[in-house]
Amino acid sequence: MTDHPPEVARTEQGDQVKPQLPVDPVILREEVKSKYREVATHPDGEYHFHTGRRLARRLGYDPAVVDGMPDSAVEAFAGVANPFSLRRLEPGERVLDAGSGAGFDCFIAARQVGPDGRVVGIDMLDAMLARSRKAAREMGLGNVEFREGLLEAMPVESGWADVVTSNGVINLCADKKRVFAEIRRVLRPGGHLQFADIANGKAVPESALRNVDLWTA
Amino acid sequence: MMEEAGFADVRIGPPVDTFGGASGEPKARRFEVYGFAFHARKPGAAK
Repeated sequence: MTDHPPEVARTEQGDQVKPQLPVDPVILREEVKSKYREVATHPDGEYHFHTGRRLARRLGYDPAVVDGMPDSAVEAFAGVANPFSLRRLEPGERVLDAGSGAGFDCFIAARQVGPDGRVVGIDMLDAMLARSRKAAREMGLGNVEFREGLLEAMPVESGWADVVTSNGVINLCADKKRVFAEIRRVLRPGGHLQFADIANGKAVPESALRNVDLWTA
Repeated sequence: MMEEAGFADVRIGPPVDTFGGASGEPKARRFEVYGFAFHARKPGAAK
């Protein structure tokens, strides 16, 4: 699961087809890992974004639900909006959370889909996976599991998911077209993509787009 | 990009001031960065 997928596609003749990406996906991935490993181990640290309960309140999550969750399930949450605000999950649905981080949205999803549903969180960071698995055990959630993997090659069979969620992760992927194609692969026909992410109203200069250090700053 | 990727019925929620009060706020203001919720469907049988 930890092997990086090939970043360069090939034609039928074997020639390389290099997508026009602003930064090297592997270098960006290492930058993201470094930043979010720090969040996993020091969730109360100083970051350019909010974390934890204060952030969940700001993003409009139901306080009654969040207040009932242990600190271990909330403190390293680092999302950017609420992926459940446009559609509540239905009981029994199978949910894949792409870039599950500390597991917060998986725990919200697990509550909404209930015991007949299933939630799989995918993340590339050992530290986040350890944190989310520990919190799931602490909460006694039997319908949630976490798998190591990348958004560009998720370890889930095609058409498995009724719903794909994600929160603040797709913007950190260099090859977004590839990520959306992978999400489409794992969704069943008629399935829902409900995710949260950031978007900018003013154009970012080309030089900044190509500076990998600025992607996580 | 979502429609190009084959998704349909794309909806976008209202902007959320994700970075307000955080150290990233000045840069977010400069580029008008906000958080958004998105919803879309993969075309197919069941809704």
